[in-house]
Amino acid sequence: MTDRASFSRRQLFQLGGLTASAIGASQLLAACGGSDGGSGSAGGVLIHGATGGSTKDTLDPHSPVTAPDIARCCNLYEPLLFWDENYQIAPALAESIEPSADAKTWTVKLRQGVTFHNGKSVTPEDVLFSIKRVADPKAPTSAGVALAPIIDFDGTKKVDASTLTIALKTPYAVLDYLLAEYTFGIIPTDFDIKKPVGTGPFSYQSFTPGKSSTFAKYADYWGDVAKIDQLQIQDFSDANAQINALQAGQVQTVDNLPYNLIDSVKGQGGQVLETQSGAWVPFTMRVDQKPFSDNRVRQAMRLIVDRQQMIDQALSGKGTLGNDLYAPFDDAYAKELPQREQDVEQARSLLKSAGAEGLQVQLFTGDDIGSVAPSAAALFKQQAKQAGVDVRVVKKNPFYGDDYLKYTFAQDFWNTRNYIPQAAVCALKSGTYNETHFDNAKFAGLISSAQAQTDDAKRNSLLQDAQKIEYDEGGYIIWGFRRQVDAVAANVKGVSTSKYLPLGSYRFNKATVS
Amino acid sequence: MTSAQGLGGAEQIELPERADAPGAVAPPRGRFGALAWALWLARRLGLAVLTLWLVSILVFVATAALGDPVRAILGRDYAANQARVDQLNGLLNADQPLVQRYLNWLGGLLTGDLGTSLTGLRPVSELIGSSVVNTLGLVLVSAVVMIPVSFGVAMLSANYRRRRPDTVIQTILLGLAGLPEFVVGILLVALLSTSVFHLLPAVTISSPTGHPWDQPRAMVLPVLTLVLAVSPYVARIVRATLLEVLDSDYVELARLKGIPEGVVMRKHALLNAIVPGIQVIALQLAYLAGGIVVVESVFNYPGIGKQLVDAVNAHDVPLVQALSMIIAAVYVVVNLVADLLSILFTPRARTAISS
Repeated sequence: MTDRASFSRRQLFQLGGLTASAIGASQLLAACGGSDGGSGSAGGVLIHGATGGSTKDTLDPHSPVTAPDIARCCNLYEPLLFWDENYQIAPALAESIEPSADAKTWTVKLRQGVTFHNGKSVTPEDVLFSIKRVADPKAPTSAGVALAPIIDFDGTKKVDASTLTIALKTPYAVLDYLLAEYTFGIIPTDFDIKKPVGTGPFSYQSFTPGKSSTFAKYADYWGDVAKIDQLQIQDFSDANAQINALQAGQVQTVDNLPYNLIDSVKGQGGQVLETQSGAWVPFTMRVDQKPFSDNRVRQAMRLIVDRQQMIDQALSGKGTLGNDLYAPFDDAYAKELPQREQDVEQARSLLKSAGAEGLQVQLFTGDDIGSVAPSAAALFKQQAKQAGVDVRVVKKNPFYGDDYLKYTFAQDFWNTRNYIPQAAVCALKSGTYNETHFDNAKFAGLISSAQAQTDDAKRNSLLQDAQKIEYDEGGYIIWGFRRQVDAVAANVKGVSTSKYLPLGSYRFNKATVS
Repeated sequence: MTSAQGLGGAEQIELPERADAPGAVAPPRGRFGALAWALWLARRLGLAVLTLWLVSILVFVATAALGDPVRAILGRDYAANQARVDQLNGLLNADQPLVQRYLNWLGGLLTGDLGTSLTGLRPVSELIGSSVVNTLGLVLVSAVVMIPVSFGVAMLSANYRRRRPDTVIQTILLGLAGLPEFVVGILLVALLSTSVFHLLPAVTISSPTGHPWDQPRAMVLPVLTLVLAVSPYVARIVRATLLEVLDSDYVELARLKGIPEGVVMRKHALLNAIVPGIQVIALQLAYLAGGIVVVESVFNYPGIGKQLVDAVNAHDVPLVQALSMIIAAVYVVVNLVADLLSILFTPRARTAISS
């Protein structure tokens, strides 16, 4: 089973790293900045300056690759459910999705009166077609990777004109998480990628990979009909040019603003949107290899990290503290576990009792993890020195090469996810990207019971027990979660933030340009 | 005096009185002259094709030596997604021997089939078509502005030689020549679009149906940047040649005959200084056509330089091969045209061919 969701996001992050590497040049520009904002744009068009984009760009609803692809997906297509601005499940094309008591059969009630851009109504057949495309066992797309092995296509069928059931082979109580991903857009049975139609607030007009794409307001949209007439998404391979365009009034919104350009944008009258995200760049220790096979060494390493300093330096202060646990937006997040802080004395004594005084380790990092990783690695080397640990930082190029998942001590990147889907890929033996080689029978049992538990409170309690195990014995050092920063021109209103995706999950239908 | 031009200054200086008296040198006439010219052109064209063929081998071998692009493109998906591996290997004809693959590729190239992009999964010609046109358009507009500007500056400078205006011009030219293009670009953007004045668009917003010049104002800064980047070289070469010519005996004689200085400059000096100018212009234009990645990045200009960098990063072999061949072809063609013009402007070389 591959996890293309995280793969494609990882590529995105790489793109982010590339743009961040242009920082030197942008600082030069920032130094030249210092007057008020640019002139407004013509009435009904909003031009979004998207980070990255290349000939890899695609309009495929289920396999977006680049950041502009995500923006296009969010405006063209819609899933059955959607993650709202607080990373909570909200209804979209489905009015409700209810599980059976055993979490094996899910009943989907479709919203009435929703039409595709070609005027055709959304039917259960379209939903079934989309599910089959996403969860194709031979080639599952990013949202389908977790669904493909458990879905029972024989039992998944239409009930009546507005209802269908999704049948699973094994219980999965958080199916709604998968159905809410933006990569699970519902498309009609006669979908044609050359003339793509979805149900989103904007309909397709034109598309040139690596350059630009345009979309028109969809007047029959079931939700908030767009206030602007046209949306254009313009690719930018250079952050410098992207911010110049914002300041010259040529684009109205910019996603993933590099932290060092925040002051430059503010200084010119632009609006900076900032929100918490659940994205993390952990240190990964292999629990099955020396020296980290001894839990005391792992705990010592976790105590060595000065988390606030990591955030201040590696994230320019734009982050929230991590407690070696992921999925901070999950209701089950174990908030009551004490915040781990730097404790060099205890780290020394743990290392001593493990017979690992004067420990020497290699820490593998790479630019393709993202720009945060190498600076965090360099900082960790300094912090470890205080506890007498000699860390040698080794830069791999590419990091995600043949040695990935084999490094004893390294780093990685993960985007916002809830606990069960995240643990499934990174903390179970079967996980595709289990960098720490974590394999704990009790933990796996808890996760599997939680997957079958439809009662939220009971499930959360099981997941908190699982998190306690990772907190005490896991191989991750999770020091923080970065903040999402985007920029909007002074003359734009109606673009808010979302913990899910940049620029309020790219919901441009609420935006106005004056 | 440029070394790019094989004909030395001394030779030209011996020719002037024929050069400024049109008709004194017999242009190629009659069957014999035409045949000679045709032969010369055929030989040059043959050499150009040979060059391109050698380049094609080099490009193919170099891209093949980069390792397995499929592994690089799929990364961690390589082991898990056999369907994609087979699809990409099929596009690359990876099962065939290298020579066979080269011949297929060359055959495609000659028939206008540039293959299929590995990352975009679309025909390469479709993906690069508009970028190629955009870059050529930018270079052409820059050339149209740059050539008269450089010659004008050179003549002005030569006219005031070793006096204050000349010194000032030379200092500015040297300064500009020392600045990298992207610094010039960033400074122009800060000055004219974002920080000081808000007169011009800072970047190119591509309109999906047309080309960047559909919005002429957006072309101003990229063109200005390229003109500022390239003109100093051309102007300095032309000025140096002009000075050499102005010091020569025949110009002195022309002045003694009482011909006004302006006419001396235009008719006697400039025509003889033009050949090194053509050569350096050709070199600069070929350099620009190769894709000015940094300038394209600063202005988000949708040209081939950025696309080539993208393609290399993405290990998109067919795209890299096609763009490399196009850039090589532009180099060859521009140089061929420059040589042709140089000969037409050099009477001795002209007569050498037709007699």
